[in-house]
Amino acid sequence: MSFARALVYFAREAWSSLVRSWKVSLLAIVTIAVSLFVSGVFLVVGGNLARVVERARDESRVVAYLDPETPLARVRELAASFQGVPWVGEARVVTAGEARRRFVEIFPSLSDLVAEGEGSLPASVEIEVLPGAALVGGREAWLEELRATPGIAMVDDDRDWVAQLSAVVAVVRGLGLALGGVLLGAAIFTIGSVIRLTAYLYEDEMTVMRLVGATEFFIRGPFFVEGLLQGALGGGVAAAGLSAASWLARERLGESLLGRLVAAEPPTAGQLLALGGVGAAAGLVGAVLSLRRESLGEPPVDEG
Amino acid sequence: MIQFFHVGKLFPGGQVALDDVTFSLLAGGFAFLTGASGAGKTTLLRLIYRGDVPTTGRILVNGRNVASLPREKIPYLRRTIGVVFQNFRLIERKTVFENVSYLPRLLGADRDSQRRAAVRALQRVGLAHRLSAFPQELSGGEQQRVAIARAIIARPDVLVADEPTGNLDPDLSWEIVRLFLDIHRQGTTVILATHDRAMIERVGGRVLSLDAGRLVRDEEIRGSAPPVIEPEASPPELLEEPLP
Repeated sequence: MSFARALVYFAREAWSSLVRSWKVSLLAIVTIAVSLFVSGVFLVVGGNLARVVERARDESRVVAYLDPETPLARVRELAASFQGVPWVGEARVVTAGEARRRFVEIFPSLSDLVAEGEGSLPASVEIEVLPGAALVGGREAWLEELRATPGIAMVDDDRDWVAQLSAVVAVVRGLGLALGGVLLGAAIFTIGSVIRLTAYLYEDEMTVMRLVGATEFFIRGPFFVEGLLQGALGGGVAAAGLSAASWLARERLGESLLGRLVAAEPPTAGQLLALGGVGAAAGLVGAVLSLRRESLGEPPVDEG
Repeated sequence: MIQFFHVGKLFPGGQVALDDVTFSLLAGGFAFLTGASGAGKTTLLRLIYRGDVPTTGRILVNGRNVASLPREKIPYLRRTIGVVFQNFRLIERKTVFENVSYLPRLLGADRDSQRRAAVRALQRVGLAHRLSAFPQELSGGEQQRVAIARAIIARPDVLVADEPTGNLDPDLSWEIVRLFLDIHRQGTTVILATHDRAMIERVGGRVLSLDAGRLVRDEEIRGSAPPVIEPEASPPELLEEPLP
């Protein structure tokens, strides 16, 4: 039998077996769909967080908060002095009044915390650091110099926040990998069990096939294809679920901070295809492992 | 041709299934294999189609040493040997056609060729009209005839039958034995295990008797009423068409 014709036969037998034992097949498909969906969520959220980190790294700022009693003229003088530093793009003065307005805009319910008028929040200078400047060696020394400058109370470097976010991304990705691995293992085990169960259901037929001279490839082929089909269907369901969840998250969270952090970009076509591929591969692996040591359908031993 | 040379078979635990069995059955020959339950008939038949391997001795089927056959070659041996069991071993969820056409299917025949091969085999057992029936719609005798059709669909060199009449009444048993004789007359080597002494004495021919795993008699007996075989007419083009 040609390979192509054998594959057609395997696919037909596998499909008929899927339909025949649809309940256990559904269990296997749902298990792999859940595991891939969860892994996919971590993949997409991790990807979005990583993009935020990259952007923040490129757009990092240094904010110099000034002593409350520093006169505005001194603040402007300081801002002008920063313009001469090679990695500084722009140095913008934020007055105490503007700082208060921003605070109230972002946290309207906490507006009571900041008093009306100047002085409740310090004025600051927001210093835009040019992309790539993070690697310039003199930045640390410059920051130290800033901190020691009279009139500057505190210096806040975005890189600290970016580093923390990077750690969060690493944790999210690690968690995703670990959880995805465990769930995928469980899915492979489930598919393997379902395939073994199906093989037992078909043991009488396998006996006959062995007796008439079927090769192991011909006997096991339909089960391998069935595992592959279950995995691919599970992967497809996970991909569809992930697309839907991503769309829903963007609809619900919109431009909020959480929305921008976790759902700014939907899963790519490549990622969705990869989910289907991983599902199919997991199904195939489950089927191969489950039948590796099986000698189902060996010719019967009767009395005599 | 089937040749056993001092064949012994011990089961795990030391139980002797066969002990120093030696005999030859020429190509195109026919032999009954008889003995009480547990005498070793099934074990002997399993050794022929490599359902098991002997502990000692050598077995040649058409000149091939089946015991030393590599595992991957076993399917090719089995394609030359038809096997029939007492309990038919038909797949209930498959039609008669599907039950019979396993071998053409695995050999890559297209559906038309499978159908022609199935019809041809079923004609030889008189059941070509039940192609679409399911096994549970057939009588015991008909089911056994379907099993025989499955065994002979690729015109095997050897046909092995393990108590094929064990589940049938005497009239149906007689019909089934006639079929085996008919298949033998067309050139297939047939070895038929039965403990039905009356049947053997009626048919006559070569009889191998086992007792506790030993071949205690290898004799030719004259039948009291050997059947007259009238082969069923079949369209020649169906009979001649080879499987892929």
